[in-house]
Amino acid sequence: MNIVPNRGAKISVKNGFRGTILEFLRNSLEKGCFDGILIPMRVPADDSYAWVLVRDKPFLDNANPIAPIVSVQGAKALTSLTRKGGGNFNVAAIMKPCDIRASIELSKLKQVNLEKITLISYDCPGTLEMSNYIENPEESEKIFGSLLDGDVWDDKFTKPICQICDNFSFPACDLHFALLGTENGSIYLIPGTEKGENILDDLGIEYSEDLSNWEKKVIELIKKKEKQKAEKFELVKPTVEGFDNLLKTFANCIGCHNCQSACPICYCRQCYFDSEVSKPNSDFILLRTSKRGGISFPLDRIMFHTGRMSHMSLSCVSCGVCTDACPVSIPVADIFSYVADKTQRTFEYKAGNSTEEPLPMREYRFDELLEIKELVKDADGQD
Amino acid sequence: MDRLMKVNKSAELAIIDFFRLLLENDRVSGIFTLRKINKDDSVDYCLVTDENRLDEAIPFYPFMPANAGQILSRFSPMNKPVAVVIKPCELRAFIELVKREQGTLDNFLLISYSCAGVFPIIKTGDEPFEKFLPSYWETVKRGGISQGIRQTCKVCEHFLPMNADITISLIGENKLDSECKMFLNTDKAKEFAKDFEGEMLEEDLESPVINSLLTKRKGEKEDLFTELSSKYSGLDGMINIFGRCIGCHGCSRVCPICYCTLCDFESHNYDYSASILEREISQKGALRLPPDTIFFHLGRLIHMSFSCIGCGLCTEVCPANIPVSTLFIKIGEETAKMFDYIPGRNVKEAIPVTVFKEEEFAELGE
Amino acid sequence: MEREFLPKIVSFLCKWCSYTGADLAGINRLQYPTSILPIKVMCSSRVDPVFVIKAYLRGADGVLIGGCHPGDCHYQDGNYHTRRRVAILKRVFELLGLEEGRIRLSWISASEGPKFARVCNEFTEVIKSLGENTTKTTIFL
Repeated sequence: MNIVPNRGAKISVKNGFRGTILEFLRNSLEKGCFDGILIPMRVPADDSYAWVLVRDKPFLDNANPIAPIVSVQGAKALTSLTRKGGGNFNVAAIMKPCDIRASIELSKLKQVNLEKITLISYDCPGTLEMSNYIENPEESEKIFGSLLDGDVWDDKFTKPICQICDNFSFPACDLHFALLGTENGSIYLIPGTEKGENILDDLGIEYSEDLSNWEKKVIELIKKKEKQKAEKFELVKPTVEGFDNLLKTFANCIGCHNCQSACPICYCRQCYFDSEVSKPNSDFILLRTSKRGGISFPLDRIMFHTGRMSHMSLSCVSCGVCTDACPVSIPVADIFSYVADKTQRTFEYKAGNSTEEPLPMREYRFDELLEIKELVKDADGQD
Repeated sequence: MDRLMKVNKSAELAIIDFFRLLLENDRVSGIFTLRKINKDDSVDYCLVTDENRLDEAIPFYPFMPANAGQILSRFSPMNKPVAVVIKPCELRAFIELVKREQGTLDNFLLISYSCAGVFPIIKTGDEPFEKFLPSYWETVKRGGISQGIRQTCKVCEHFLPMNADITISLIGENKLDSECKMFLNTDKAKEFAKDFEGEMLEEDLESPVINSLLTKRKGEKEDLFTELSSKYSGLDGMINIFGRCIGCHGCSRVCPICYCTLCDFESHNYDYSASILEREISQKGALRLPPDTIFFHLGRLIHMSFSCIGCGLCTEVCPANIPVSTLFIKIGEETAKMFDYIPGRNVKEAIPVTVFKEEEFAELGE
Repeated sequence: MEREFLPKIVSFLCKWCSYTGADLAGINRLQYPTSILPIKVMCSSRVDPVFVIKAYLRGADGVLIGGCHPGDCHYQDGNYHTRRRVAILKRVFELLGLEEGRIRLSWISASEGPKFARVCNEFTEVIKSLGENTTKTTIFL
């Protein structure tokens, strides 16, 4: 975290959380703090949401800062804008904590340029599954609305990955809307960086309120989520440990690679697993087949998934778009979140936590991972 | 009249016996078929080289986890003979790929069957469609449209294989459980089947049952297209249909016709610098990001629709439930019609955009 | 006062015929509207239909493709391929209810300066009657 959040501005809620955030955005757009605002907007058919970069204020009327689904990961929208370098627009991106974490990872991977981007986040109540939403948008809106307005955020209708998310509040953003701190119809707006502080100064918003009430609520919810996470991981563990279990878990995988193309971290234009290198020729296939009597297609499913785990799990932000994108509903996100938790722990790294922490694969220390030698010894019985 | 071999066994047993014979006599080095692995409860395409593994084979199982045409192209050129049993649309896809030099027909013994349609891909947590199977096979015998099969299959007109060496007749065969009719369409087929025991007959594959099924399916298609065309019209219609696209490009990745290793729409041709997007945003007041959703689908329609074989996998994999295949089949039919082209009909028939006639479209260019 | 609508027509002109034809129109001081934005291509068959869609979706009011007359292609048969592609493109636009009238293919030889001017005038009038392209204001593309 860039600044420890200890002071914030108190903003009274008008027209719900969404209305309050929108009002702030309108204001800041009008006062010229930003040239554009990246915000989710319901598509014309009303059956999904899309990211829209808004420059003209009237368009904000149709926007919804707290979208009930993640159709496209926010970091992907930022990539499409700044992949070739930052532009001239000062853009405010109002995104969920996981979108922001992914954006930060991508900025380290040089796919997003955050120079002109102001990241604004909010306490995220979780999101709904995209396919359910598309099937019945109105009903889903109602469910999400009552979830958001409820005193305790009940996550039983949200995506499984959101139920175990303990990073729902205050990512490394410039400004944060502390919705959980709501008291007497008001929320807090907390600056996370100097950039954020400057914006509040420009808008003439005082930020000296004490946040202990919000902090207490956040810690309470984190504890609940951590418990759910531990329980979930206990369930995931037996499904992925051991090759047979892995095979069984991914047995329905049809090899469409939707999970990879929806993943914000998998930014490679041409994935290794889609490239010519990973397409063996017929002789080799027959050779492989003759050794075991039969071979299933698509080939190398487990290699794809485990390969992806080793390629990107260190940066996995557990946003859950992979599960949403899977046509056979394999709980990809649960599995990747489980693996990412382990791999990131190895390097005491938390994906998207801060722009300063370097990517683990970019550096090394002489005195680390000494236990690996021991592991090798155990496996072979010799050094 | 076509030459056919009648075997007094159920279709599935007969074909598996045939495979066993081929493998035992070393006529082929492998069999490509669907198989079910009971312990995983999953159905896959599989290349089998060990005859003991043939017990797992379920060649006519109404399920399509991938387009086999695409898989076959991945392992051709094949240097050793392999027998494959695939659906008519997969065979057509393979033919289209061969035209595009993405595969060769050598060494493949192509077996296909009159296909009554397949069920949607299984989602984890979904009820398995196994309970529909008995009624499915009853419907096949009657020549009707079974409940629960994919929309795309309900409207498919090309359910009789084209270019197959051996065609197994399933639709309208009352005695499906006790006899199997194998039509030997080519000399290659006769050569391979010569050691196989069966009664040789002369009969037509097409029957009144098949013709009435064709009529039924044409009717279904008419209805579906009418329903669809009420939804899309003009730019707004396109946005209505494709507005919820998440840009995963799964449709193009599973599409057998879209064989490019790197799709143009994923290439750096359409990575924009921020300033270009900012200019557009300044003009419009707002812009969807990532851009080019409609562009991608419109571009794909123009690049490949005339070769669309209507396998329906694009709809199957779409995480946003967009009826991709319905639109592509409709548009594809029309664009193919311009050139009297039927994708996958004949390997010698050139792809429309690679050839031309001097006297055509005279109205263009004035 | 409302300004008169001057369309933007992205024009892909083949180097050997249409572009030279446009030059000739200029040399002959023939009048044609400033709506034409010429892009020189080596052959009309260089124009991937995707270029046309791109122009259309990014707000071009019209797209003109100019090539040599059939049989006169510098590369023997490039323009025949163009004709098939444009035929497919226009048919798809028509089927989808998009305005296929905004796309035009014209054969203009190097000596047909007057024809170039005439085509530009005609096409500009057609586009004017169609009005501005709605893609200019559509944000959900």
